[in-house]
Amino acid sequence: MTMNLFSQTDPTNSLEWTWFIANKYSSMFIQGTYLTLYTAVIGTLVGFLLGYLIGVIQDMKVNPGDNALKKVTVRLLKTVSGAYVEIFRDTPMIVQAMIIYYGLRQANVEMTPVFAGILVTVLNTGAYMAETVRAGIGSIDIGQREGAYAMGMSPMKTMIYIVLPQAFKNIIPEMANTFLTNLKMTSVLNVIAVQELFMAAKTAGGNYYKYFESYLVIALIYFVLCFIFNKLFIFIEKGMQGSEDYALAVEYMDNQ
Amino acid sequence: MSETILSIQDLGKSFGNHEVLRKIDIDVKKGEVICIVGSSGSGKSTLLRCINKLEKQTRGKILYHDEEVTDVQSHINDYRSKVGMVFQSFNLFNNMTVLGNCMLCTRKVLHISKEEAFDRAITHLKEVGMAPYINAKPSMLSGGQKQRVAIARALCMNPEILLFDEPTSALDPEMVGEVLTVMKELATTGLTMMIVTHEMAFARDVSTRTIFMDNGYVAEDAAPEILFTNPKNERTREFLSRYLAG
Repeated sequence: MTMNLFSQTDPTNSLEWTWFIANKYSSMFIQGTYLTLYTAVIGTLVGFLLGYLIGVIQDMKVNPGDNALKKVTVRLLKTVSGAYVEIFRDTPMIVQAMIIYYGLRQANVEMTPVFAGILVTVLNTGAYMAETVRAGIGSIDIGQREGAYAMGMSPMKTMIYIVLPQAFKNIIPEMANTFLTNLKMTSVLNVIAVQELFMAAKTAGGNYYKYFESYLVIALIYFVLCFIFNKLFIFIEKGMQGSEDYALAVEYMDNQ
Repeated sequence: MSETILSIQDLGKSFGNHEVLRKIDIDVKKGEVICIVGSSGSGKSTLLRCINKLEKQTRGKILYHDEEVTDVQSHINDYRSKVGMVFQSFNLFNNMTVLGNCMLCTRKVLHISKEEAFDRAITHLKEVGMAPYINAKPSMLSGGQKQRVAIARALCMNPEILLFDEPTSALDPEMVGEVLTVMKELATTGLTMMIVTHEMAFARDVSTRTIFMDNGYVAEDAAPEILFTNPKNERTREFLSRYLAG
């Protein structure tokens, strides 16, 4: 019965064709899944780092008493990072991929499509994350910072020990969102010949003129991946909330 | 005469066109407990925030041991580590336990060892009666408990002078009592303090000197027994009579 429905050799309907293509090109789809994950994970993680860096730079302030070098450096960093965020947020990722890959090739910088793909993902993620981090920093009430400043903590130390850990926690949902978006957005990297899932579907579908069935296969893979990661992130987020209980340190109780 | 720690000279602060502090001259000597009273908007909190450089003054200067506190960040950090501050809204670090709150700045600013930072934290937490709560996060504490932790945290830095910016204004009457008790005890240890408060009875009891601020000026600066019983300034009299009438 099952064998009839999912004929391996002689597919007659869409369902059978989907099954047929998934089987026939299984290694290509697995390779595509791997590359999609690889690009998305590396690109997102490095992009997050970049986003944090830019977010912190955007939050920097100069004192009137600071020396000229510091003033100039901070202003320059802010201008450059501001321009970067603006450019990458205001252009489509697919266009960025083309411009970066072919632009760098024209400038005789050799790179593999995968490397270029990761680079584009990093730059794109960084720009969006910078804004998210800025909002996350803003979500921490200024009082906590003042509390730290008032005890002689430098703005940078305050950022590292007090603001960022809390901002991080607040923007976890947004970070999860960004990762899921990236996982799906890697599909546009097929334009610079990254052999990810979309490319796999395009190739497989092209061989039999069965595009619908072929893309159905990767739609399912994307869905399963995103579904699993989504559940994982919710689990992590819950784990980070921590316990509401605490043990009294009885050794310091007064026994009056 | 004991030495002058802080000398505030001709201090002025404006927010845009609004002049909050007009001309403040105050010298703070070692061991003094100065309470600053006055109606809301008279510039009391702004004065303390200027002293701690959380606000930049628009005029005048602050001398710390005869040396002007400049606007260079490292200099400000250094100065602040010796001038502690307790806030109306506690401003504890929410991502850390009570112990973490008390150890962070001694470790990262004064660079003392973990053991010493721990000992200091426990010593001062005991002083304020919060040592059993070292493992609690700020969100699990009541307002009065938070403020006592904030005081212990400030004390861990061994400040030369401690500024209190309306430390009991966000507390209910019961919690006000527990915080004031801690502060009264501190006043007896010889710690130099500047306290902005609306607790008149407390100000009268603990201060060695009381300042009445009005409209950005120091209207009256006298010993509490004089200021509270026989004020020279008309505004002081008016303010106090309204307060005593309830």
